[in-house]
Amino acid sequence: MTSGLTAVTRAERTDAQVVRDVLSGDRDAYRLLVRRYGDTLHAHALRMTGSHDEAADLTQRAFVKGFRKLRSCREPERVGAWLFRIVSNLCRDHLRSRKSEVSLTHVGGYLRAASDPEADADAAEVRRKVWAALDTLTPEQKEAFVLKHVEGRSYEEIAAVTDASVTSLRMRVHRARDALRGLLEEYA
Amino acid sequence: MKDDIHRHLDGELDAEALGAEGRSEVDAWARMLEAFRVSAPPTGSAPAWLEERVMSEIGALPTEGPLRRAWRWLVRPAPVRVSPLAAGLVAAGLALVVLLPGRGAPPASGVDGVPVAGGPTDAAVVYVQFVLEAPGATTVAVAGDFSDWEPSFMLDDPDGDGVWTGRVPVRPGVHTYMFLVDEAQWRTDPNADRYRDDGFGNQNAVLAVAAGV
Repeated sequence: MTSGLTAVTRAERTDAQVVRDVLSGDRDAYRLLVRRYGDTLHAHALRMTGSHDEAADLTQRAFVKGFRKLRSCREPERVGAWLFRIVSNLCRDHLRSRKSEVSLTHVGGYLRAASDPEADADAAEVRRKVWAALDTLTPEQKEAFVLKHVEGRSYEEIAAVTDASVTSLRMRVHRARDALRGLLEEYA
Repeated sequence: MKDDIHRHLDGELDAEALGAEGRSEVDAWARMLEAFRVSAPPTGSAPAWLEERVMSEIGALPTEGPLRRAWRWLVRPAPVRVSPLAAGLVAAGLALVVLLPGRGAPPASGVDGVPVAGGPTDAAVVYVQFVLEAPGATTVAVAGDFSDWEPSFMLDDPDGDGVWTGRVPVRPGVHTYMFLVDEAQWRTDPNADRYRDDGFGNQNAVLAVAAGV
């Protein structure tokens, strides 16, 4: 594996400088953005899809799309948020298309595979149930709910990375809660 | 679900302000949300191969040649400064051309009651300007019966303000079209003058193009 990013000074460049360098023809500089934001984008894709393979594929596609459209990034200093929006759009589209193809056990399948083999079976079943319930929400509701209650972001923070207004996000989260309320009796 | 429960979960209302029943419900919510957090897929690192795969795919993309760069420079929006005197002379010249007998173009008429979107060019095709506001989109294409519904006409957003535009050659007649955002989302033009059911639960925008003169 080769990397053109051996000089410390390259790693210290700001996002805006990296974007400028890439647009000037230094394609290899783009790997800095992949390093800086790869984990964040992948984590979001993983929580939205519940699948390591799908999350990795969506993250890769997001970075390639980001490269192709980098010239349209209006705020290069916030390129991380811009890339997040791309992966967020891809995840929602992916879930929308997946809904008609895959049963609700998809997320549960991931959790079974990833859980500790010695974990309590009842707890694993509860985990499977709550994440399968999330899969019944619309992609927009699921995204808002995950960002709000799993990642713990404020509505303002979510609005900054999803292009949705705070009012609209609040409505999505409320509808998601209404839809998930049936699970509450398990925790009463 | 009661609004005060939502307000509490949004961090806007203390649990003390809720009744006993409300407190019991928010306790259950707290336990369930904790279950969501605890059972969420671990947010570890992205796969080690991600960086190299991205860079490899990017490396295979064609580089932008000098012609493409020149074209981008030519179509890049730029402010134009014109003195009032020059503007007046140009306007007077245009008015003269239009008013000369036999040279003036008749006003373009609508077809099927829809305003004409294309300006007159030649008799075969009219270039129609398509515009869609789609902030955050990475690609926007237009497809319609004039392209056999292939999204072959890509719109551009050169300044990154989320407003995508492009001029598309369309033959005179009444056409239906839609936008394709990020190669996946079909979107109806919100600014069309007329719409028509596509038979699949969506609305196509209708565009009427008069023949060029």
